[in-house]
Amino acid sequence: MAEQFQEPIVEQIYTLNLGPQHPSTHGVLRVLLDLDGEFIVKADPIIGYGHRGHEKMAENRTYKQFMPNTSRMDYLSGLLFNHGFVLAVEKFAGLEVPERAKYIRVICSELNRISSHLLWFGTYIMDLGGFTPFLYCFDDRENILDILDRVTGSRLTYSYCRFGGVTRDIDAEFISMTRAFIDRLRSRWTDYHNLVTKNVIFIHRTRDVGVITPELARQFGVVGPNLRACGIPFDVRKSEPYELYDRFDFEIPTGTKGDALDRYNVRLQEMEQSCRIIEQALDQLPEGSHINEVVPFKVRPPKGEIYFAFESARGLTAYYLVSDGSPYPYRCHIRVPSFGNLQVLTEVFRGTLVADAISILGSIDVVIPEIDR
Amino acid sequence: MSKSEKITQKLQAMLPEDDVCRDESYQGGVVFSARVPLGKLRDAIKEFDEAGYYLESIAALDFQDTFELVYHLNCYEPRARIAIRVPCGHDQSPATVSDIFPSALWQEREVRDFFGIQFTDSPDMRPLLLPEDADYYPLKKTFGMVHAYHKRDEIYG
Repeated sequence: MAEQFQEPIVEQIYTLNLGPQHPSTHGVLRVLLDLDGEFIVKADPIIGYGHRGHEKMAENRTYKQFMPNTSRMDYLSGLLFNHGFVLAVEKFAGLEVPERAKYIRVICSELNRISSHLLWFGTYIMDLGGFTPFLYCFDDRENILDILDRVTGSRLTYSYCRFGGVTRDIDAEFISMTRAFIDRLRSRWTDYHNLVTKNVIFIHRTRDVGVITPELARQFGVVGPNLRACGIPFDVRKSEPYELYDRFDFEIPTGTKGDALDRYNVRLQEMEQSCRIIEQALDQLPEGSHINEVVPFKVRPPKGEIYFAFESARGLTAYYLVSDGSPYPYRCHIRVPSFGNLQVLTEVFRGTLVADAISILGSIDVVIPEIDR
Repeated sequence: MSKSEKITQKLQAMLPEDDVCRDESYQGGVVFSARVPLGKLRDAIKEFDEAGYYLESIAALDFQDTFELVYHLNCYEPRARIAIRVPCGHDQSPATVSDIFPSALWQEREVRDFFGIQFTDSPDMRPLLLPEDADYYPLKKTFGMVHAYHKRDEIYG
């Protein structure tokens, strides 16, 4: 349909307000759409409804006090943000971490990545009009939440990592629950593919819809699964290996066209790769302490700065910390992946149909509070 | 030759020797950082665009004597991130780079929101994250509760 789009006559344009409470906008995003009939002429995303000022809060707190904030930015992959912040400060201040703690962090982070992708999967299909897969996903996701609840004590906004380790050690039951979950999730792939991937309505709603070319992705700084869907195998876990990711054998799934269907496929394959990482980590898990007890109460990194990048569920995320040698960061800038991923929509929406806009927005997988910070 | 080596050679040719710094250890998360004066910012960013880099983030720092804009650029290669540091006086306006990298537009709007730095020739300087009628710049060190307000040299000197 997109090829039927022609430059409109100005009088025919009318403006539609998509959101901020529309169910498909996941959070509070408002998009001002200029429409010519069913075609979108111009899209202007309006954000900031969830702005809390995390960067200012960081300057008023010690590094430790800021930790609970980190998981409240991207609440779907809170543990990954928490993990990244801890890694940044540890590298900055030169703190030692026991091997076992590193493995525990990787296992929990990857579980969180799967739970984030599962939630995206369920809600995306629901945006497209299918309700049943949503229930399947939440059933599986509930398993992860139970597992993480056992060790972290929370279901969504985890603040599990500490400078020098993690708060609680994992036990034999955690390990057996995780292994059982991975087996169960693998047995579910067939259901998912039969329900969704092979569904002809789903394929027609996603194939060739919302194509992001590699050049467009570069101009807008698109990262994560959205970038990999257009064929660029870029993953921070491989390009700048942090924590233990250079010890595990996993692949970077990529797409070819960069349309919504490719983004869907990439995320589904990423879940399988995360399962592989968790299995290897469980096999290699060493004995020992789960936290370095000699880390000072108030961490004081040396004067200077650090830019630490890691891969959250939505792509390259980075903490940019500037320290003046005191326990309070002088500046904490957070580079969030959804910022670029959402901004590219101003370009991608042009010339598509309104119904496709919902499909594209869902396939990009944005979390608005992460952009607003 | 990798993209990062190519671009660093170009920057070294463009800038005085004291202003560039290579860090192979990657301790600070960047392989190369360069101090670029305000006037040469657009030329430097254009070089990155031609070299196939993408703009990762724009962060502003507030010091007693000056603002500093830090542009982080990266490409899809291992350990290739480069930082461009642009000193910008409290009363100066840097030129926009949003026509070179469209992703800069929102980031510049964010910097304007939080620091009140106006980017010249920008097509759109509406508030992005703050309310439309906001008349304060929350990340400035003169706003709200602040633990320290340093001169630039006290941290980087």
